[in-house]
Amino acid sequence: MTGGAAKLSRRAPVLGNLARDRARAVTIVLLLLVVTILMLLGSAAFGSTWVPLEKVVAVLSGGGERMERLIILQLRLPRVLLAVLAGAAIAVSGFLLQKVTRNELASPSVLGVVDGAALGVVIFLALLSNDSNALIVSIGWQPLAAALGACAAVALVFALSGRQASSAVRLLLFGIAVAAAAKSVIMVLLLTGPIYRTTQAARWIAGAVNETNWGEVQLTALLLVPALVLALIAATRLPPSDLDDVSARSVGLNLPVFRLVIFALAAALTAISVAFAGGVSFIGLLAPHMARLLVGRSAIAGILASALCGAVILMGADLVVRVLFAPTEVPAGTITAVIGAPYFLYLLLRKDRLNG
Amino acid sequence: MDKALNGLTVDTLSVAYGARLAVDAISLAVPKGKITVLAGPNGCGKSTLLRAIRRLHVAKSGCVLLGDTDIGKMREKEIAREIGLLAQSPSAPEDMRVEELVRLGRYPHQAMLQPWSKDDAAAVEDAMFGTGVGHLRDRRIGSLSGGQLQRVWIAMVLAQQTDIICLDEPVNHLDMAHQIDCLDLVSRLNREHGRTVVLVLHDLNLAARYADLLVFMKDGGIVSAGSPRELMTEELIASVFGIQCRVIEDPVHDRPLCIPMRNSSPRFEVQG
Repeated sequence: MTGGAAKLSRRAPVLGNLARDRARAVTIVLLLLVVTILMLLGSAAFGSTWVPLEKVVAVLSGGGERMERLIILQLRLPRVLLAVLAGAAIAVSGFLLQKVTRNELASPSVLGVVDGAALGVVIFLALLSNDSNALIVSIGWQPLAAALGACAAVALVFALSGRQASSAVRLLLFGIAVAAAAKSVIMVLLLTGPIYRTTQAARWIAGAVNETNWGEVQLTALLLVPALVLALIAATRLPPSDLDDVSARSVGLNLPVFRLVIFALAAALTAISVAFAGGVSFIGLLAPHMARLLVGRSAIAGILASALCGAVILMGADLVVRVLFAPTEVPAGTITAVIGAPYFLYLLLRKDRLNG
Repeated sequence: MDKALNGLTVDTLSVAYGARLAVDAISLAVPKGKITVLAGPNGCGKSTLLRAIRRLHVAKSGCVLLGDTDIGKMREKEIAREIGLLAQSPSAPEDMRVEELVRLGRYPHQAMLQPWSKDDAAAVEDAMFGTGVGHLRDRRIGSLSGGQLQRVWIAMVLAQQTDIICLDEPVNHLDMAHQIDCLDLVSRLNREHGRTVVLVLHDLNLAARYADLLVFMKDGGIVSAGSPRELMTEELIASVFGIQCRVIEDPVHDRPLCIPMRNSSPRFEVQG
């Protein structure tokens, strides 16, 4: 305990492990960025017709032939960009929640946001369809219904938690309860409703990015980019939240306020993401885990890596359903679970082995 | 540092858990640059008082004054620059590195988006050097022994560079050698750096050995406060702790030593 050796090492080494950790994290984030860009180009190139990569680049830089411009700019790019935005947002939401609850099992679905949004969609489909099961308004309103449902669920969770909202456990319990209640109402509405409604609702619940357009992409970007910037700013305050409550507060973190802000931010990110892309919440559990394994403990690198992983996963899932199941439009969300769940198990088992 | 002039005063402070008063109208002047030890039976409110001094509990009535400023009116980071506190059972992720944990002590000194400064680096080096954990800087928290871990946590509190340091039962989970080692470290920090230390200790003999001011608490109030020699009497210990004892002279240190004998209250007696 008493250290002669300790006294010798008073000066910090030129490049300590902490600095090496950081250099490694920066490198991996940059690599992930490259992967994301390649995936984006690949997603624009692949599909029912193959567009060579050099032509994709030509189209993106303003050239290209008319047909290629139509395929890429009107058909493929909106869904690819929505996948990037929604995947990134749900992943960052999951990262924030896992950090602030100090629980690796926390995911955006536990706040009740996802099921609230799903309930919004189902009620929308139930109320606004006529006797012949056709919607009497445009399906374009569906994201608004999802967003309203998500906001209502979050408001309910926070209202129920009341003054205990800064306690992570209480908030999660109320979130799970609200999610369960929303699920059961959804089930009743689906079972008693017409079949068209069930199919349409099931598509949304699984999560898909195929029925999108530039307007939705722009709106999503407009809402998400500020939320992601806020998340990065919040990340500079995240480190003490790794500690127990008393220690975190004693180094000067205003934990009750900080928790509320993070929960609200995570709920907003999830709501925006699922409003357009549906129930892709599994990415919110998976991507932060991948990010942590890749970049380690840094909060800022963790958020960036989570966002990129989430984007890559959702783009990849969408690409798989476009290539494998065409012309049937299978929701991408089904693939994230089919591929993601075994990978997730692998990560957990590997981690256990490393720890044991 | 002019803030070093600020003394710490507890003024008729009450703290409540629901309807129960855990701290009941306590007043105490914490001597500056000395070691104050809060002692008393379980549930007497000593840990609550310590946490209230750091404003981790909201005062029901009364206040804690730093100089002439009510800490209830200070900002979170402001308090964290004046008073450090080591929690009773602190926890950090197992894969966190030692240096990373010690760096968290610099949190109250950093503004949002402000880069790591030379002062921060120097404070972290000093804290790790002062606690003898410099050679552990790259180790992960999960790989440390109990004694090493406690030193690392103390280093984190030191990196905060506060004039007042509160430690809540810092030797609870340590073996005898590490208990002495840890408290020697605390007492050295007090003597060499003039830091004001407030400790909660369970072991009465350790309390008597390290305290400048010993405070006996019972039922949320202060029974008596004074030097260990004044307080360590057989009558007072019997009335506060409910145990008959003999107080003798510690043959090594110039301090009184308590030899517990028989429980004077009937609550633990074997039913027969």
